[in-house]
Amino acid sequence: MSRKRVWKTSSIVSMVLAVGLVVMAILVNTTSLSQQTWLRVLFGVSALNFALRATVPLVLGALSGILCERSGIINIGIEGMMLAGAFAGFVVKVATNSWPLGMSLMAGVLAAVLIGGVMGLLHATLSIRYRMDQIISGTIIIILAAGFTAYLFDRDAVAEGKFVAMPIPGLSKIPVLGEVLFNNPPLTYLALILVVVLHVALFHTRWGLRTRACGEHPRAADTVGINVNRYRYMNTTLGGMMAGLAGGFLVLEAVGQFQEGMTAGRGFISLAAMIFGNWMPFGALGASALFGYTQALQNELLLAGVVNVPRHFISMLPYVVTIVAVSGFVGRVRPPAAEGKVYETESSA
Amino acid sequence: MFKRGFLVTFTLTLLFALLVSACAAPAAPPAAPAQESGAGEAAQPAAEEAAATDFKVGLVTDVGRINDRSFNQSAWEGVQQAAETLGLPEENVKFIETQDSKDYADNIQQFVEAGFNVIVTVGFALGAATRTAATENPDVFFIGVDQFQVPGEEIPNLVGLIFEEDKAGFLAGALAGHLTKTGTIAAVLGTDLVPPVVAFKEGYEAGARYVKPDITIISTYHPGEISQAFVDPEWGAATAKQAMDQGADVIFGAGGITGNGALQEVAAAAEAGKEVYCIGVDTDQWYTVPAARPCLVSSAMKLITPSVADLIQLAHDGNWPGGGNYVGPVALAPFHDFEDKIPQEVKDDLARIREGLDDGSISTGYGQ
Amino acid sequence: MNGDASPIVRLMRALLIPVLALIMALLLGAVIMLVFGDDPVKAYRGLLYGAFGSGRGWATTVRKMAPFILTGLSVATAFKAGLFNIGAAGQFLMGTIFSVFVGINFQGLPVFIHLPLALLAGLLGGMLWGAIPGLLKVTTGAHEVITTIMLNYVASLFAGWTVYAGGSQGQTPGPLWDPTAGPISETPDVLPSAQLPWIFGPPYRVHWGIVLVLAVVVLIWWLLYRTTIGFEIRTVGQNLKASKYAGIRVNWTIVLTMILAGGLAGLAGGIETLGVNHKFAPEFSGSVGFDGITIALLGQTHPFGVVLAALLFGALDAGGAKMQFDSGVAADIIQVIQALILAFVAAPAIVRSIFRLKRTPEQVKPTVSTSWSGPG
Repeated sequence: MSRKRVWKTSSIVSMVLAVGLVVMAILVNTTSLSQQTWLRVLFGVSALNFALRATVPLVLGALSGILCERSGIINIGIEGMMLAGAFAGFVVKVATNSWPLGMSLMAGVLAAVLIGGVMGLLHATLSIRYRMDQIISGTIIIILAAGFTAYLFDRDAVAEGKFVAMPIPGLSKIPVLGEVLFNNPPLTYLALILVVVLHVALFHTRWGLRTRACGEHPRAADTVGINVNRYRYMNTTLGGMMAGLAGGFLVLEAVGQFQEGMTAGRGFISLAAMIFGNWMPFGALGASALFGYTQALQNELLLAGVVNVPRHFISMLPYVVTIVAVSGFVGRVRPPAAEGKVYETESSA
Repeated sequence: MFKRGFLVTFTLTLLFALLVSACAAPAAPPAAPAQESGAGEAAQPAAEEAAATDFKVGLVTDVGRINDRSFNQSAWEGVQQAAETLGLPEENVKFIETQDSKDYADNIQQFVEAGFNVIVTVGFALGAATRTAATENPDVFFIGVDQFQVPGEEIPNLVGLIFEEDKAGFLAGALAGHLTKTGTIAAVLGTDLVPPVVAFKEGYEAGARYVKPDITIISTYHPGEISQAFVDPEWGAATAKQAMDQGADVIFGAGGITGNGALQEVAAAAEAGKEVYCIGVDTDQWYTVPAARPCLVSSAMKLITPSVADLIQLAHDGNWPGGGNYVGPVALAPFHDFEDKIPQEVKDDLARIREGLDDGSISTGYGQ
Repeated sequence: MNGDASPIVRLMRALLIPVLALIMALLLGAVIMLVFGDDPVKAYRGLLYGAFGSGRGWATTVRKMAPFILTGLSVATAFKAGLFNIGAAGQFLMGTIFSVFVGINFQGLPVFIHLPLALLAGLLGGMLWGAIPGLLKVTTGAHEVITTIMLNYVASLFAGWTVYAGGSQGQTPGPLWDPTAGPISETPDVLPSAQLPWIFGPPYRVHWGIVLVLAVVVLIWWLLYRTTIGFEIRTVGQNLKASKYAGIRVNWTIVLTMILAGGLAGLAGGIETLGVNHKFAPEFSGSVGFDGITIALLGQTHPFGVVLAALLFGALDAGGAKMQFDSGVAADIIQVIQALILAFVAAPAIVRSIFRLKRTPEQVKPTVSTSWSGPG
């Protein structure tokens, strides 16, 4: 299949690019090359740290999309689920301010994941039980989350403390790489681990096989005794939890406070990352990292003041890259075949 | 089946219509607000202060919230402070939170129609709408916070409450220059589309260079529009981290909630054992952002609250200063927990700079 | 179509779900306010009085309704072809920028040339911004949901650049910036010859644009239900495969629909600028575009339904300040109510199960989830 070949080629290209990036990063940050402003902008530790930080919510959002869509439910509501998760994490963090910091933060994460799951369940219910168009249902999730969080947000509430970096002993001492990869707050590690977990689960377990069957060929899945809609409910709920975790990351690790509309379009960009990454966890990680890196680049360029382009055009970078990525790749990648369609069992149809 | 649905709808619509007319009716005589049913707390002060009660003060926020821990809140506290001194009943003191900048004029009009005597509009962005309203309603006093009135175009019933942010920024910069060990400091700023933010930044850089001429300063403005620039704590935090990665050890967060995000990021790094400091803006952020306490050495303050209260008092007493600008005071906030960690020489030098700024012997270089 | 039902019965049927959804959303909104310690009676009374209780209230409602009608119509028209236009916000902005450009230039043109020209420019700006996702969809298969959302951000940044004041560090100001505005990023006022005249002047500020908008509604209704193009648009939306067999040029219809949808939203931007704001500043963007989705669904994607839904949204918007003023309830509750309306109206099954109604055969139900790739 030529599609497969395109995918293979792009995998190889991205591997080469990644290795190149690592080599350059080490060179620039340890030698006198760091005197070159341009090289520092592209490969400095601060740029790479910024990129990773921007990647985390995107990749979690993309994993959320993968979970839902692999089972056949389109999830455009990631943005809303993230926001709801962020808000829940904030509320619980504030309520447990008197607890020890670690426990209070964990409680916040749990709440974020839980509420994300509830939003996922709502999305599944609207689209399966009430047969609502899945894209419209997702839009409702977004508008509901925006409205409720703005109305309920108590601006006098203060969350005290957020996750701080936990250097991994030994590994964090590696020059450059250790500083970027192994000196992070816990949810960043968790997000990277979840990429691996989801990959293994999707492609090497029975659950994964069945999930993919529901997304590709629900009729056949039904004939061999898989309860298609149960899988869809379960996966959409799990997907919601993943998006909720992304929200939790924003509040409990990145900022330390809630702010109305703080997801700022990340849910949509992670959808694009999911498509760009061909509905694969590692693909999604790569795509999210690319988007994260463009954001970092944008800020580094502003900070260094090396280009004389109006900042508006620099800020367009992530969005234009998304459009180009989606247009250039969507024809070559293939979404799950039965996505977006209500499945009715033989008896009910 | 359809019939039944129709009946249900019809009944509900009818009920709703009844409710509507029942609600709309008592609103017709707006002259008698005291009769309104829900005004439980209005009953008691009515007896004692009959004379003062017809004085009304309203406030329109910029897009944002009344309790934003920033300038909207400071201004509102000023209104409340004045209301307390003047003994105004609660229903004479109101605010409207602006949802969309297109609504500035409508929100101001709301107060004009309700016969308010003083209308405070908060923020640079409301400047144009406030000027229009002030021209149309010459018998209402307007206070425009952060709204510079161009000399020669003054309106008698409008006072622009402005501050010399460059001086506050200069003091913050001098403090940062004294504190830095790496020789690199940073500023994470709202937008350069708003002059007060630019003044803070220019003053900060000038102050830092005044005490340490070879200092490296990393300053970044938020890349978005006014509507996002002050409400993006994630960008503030990420940019503060970026600045620390580039060696900055004192970070000035000046840009509403965006700046608060920067302060909290620095606080988290300080808590993890890094020797970094942060400086807040507008109010004493020791109180408004407690999470920043691990790093917060001071704040570059604009004393909005007392200035707003003073102006309302002046309007009430008939001593309105007339059109033009009213310059409110600026100051460096107390050091709080860092009181002991800041050497006496630094404190003395800051006091000397303060005097120099006041008597004009030191210039911030901004706006010249 | 149910042939033997009288027009009145059909109208009642069409209104049934939206009206029930509205009532349920208001009731649920009241419950939420009660739970969180707000007074719903005071709030709704303030809302109503603010929107309809005075001449200025009515005027504000009508003024705010105009852009809602057009963005709602934009989303509704796209729905007819099975397309989900989340990009009305960006198209609105591009229309604004194009209109302002014509409006502040060409000094000396007479009103009857300058004003139509400025309006057409708005239409054109929106059409361009709508054409991009349409073309991308038919050529590369990129789903319009993603591309329109991204184009919203791009449009907002582009619009911001055109009026950029240059900031403190001496960057080049944008081409439409008003140099007399000092450090403020905004355009000059459009010339009087390009401003839509008032029907009622200040403080009412109702302009003739509202009449123009209503004319557009009738035009779109005629186009959708009385012309071949409209038939093709609706056929593509209802059954893609069948329309291919029937020889309809599907790709062309999709691009055309997106251009049409974009043009409507762009015209909304033009009318709002030439009629109300008379200039553009970056903080004017607002939520008019996103609200178009709810309005289109509440209006059952029918042009006349959209007008009613827009009236409701105009009233909610106009009454908000008075509601806050009278009751102290934060205006965010309006957003909650709008979200609830959308939820109920888009899931008629919920409303039906609550009120125990049977499914009516002709219920309009936009279907857009055709997966991410390709037009079909």
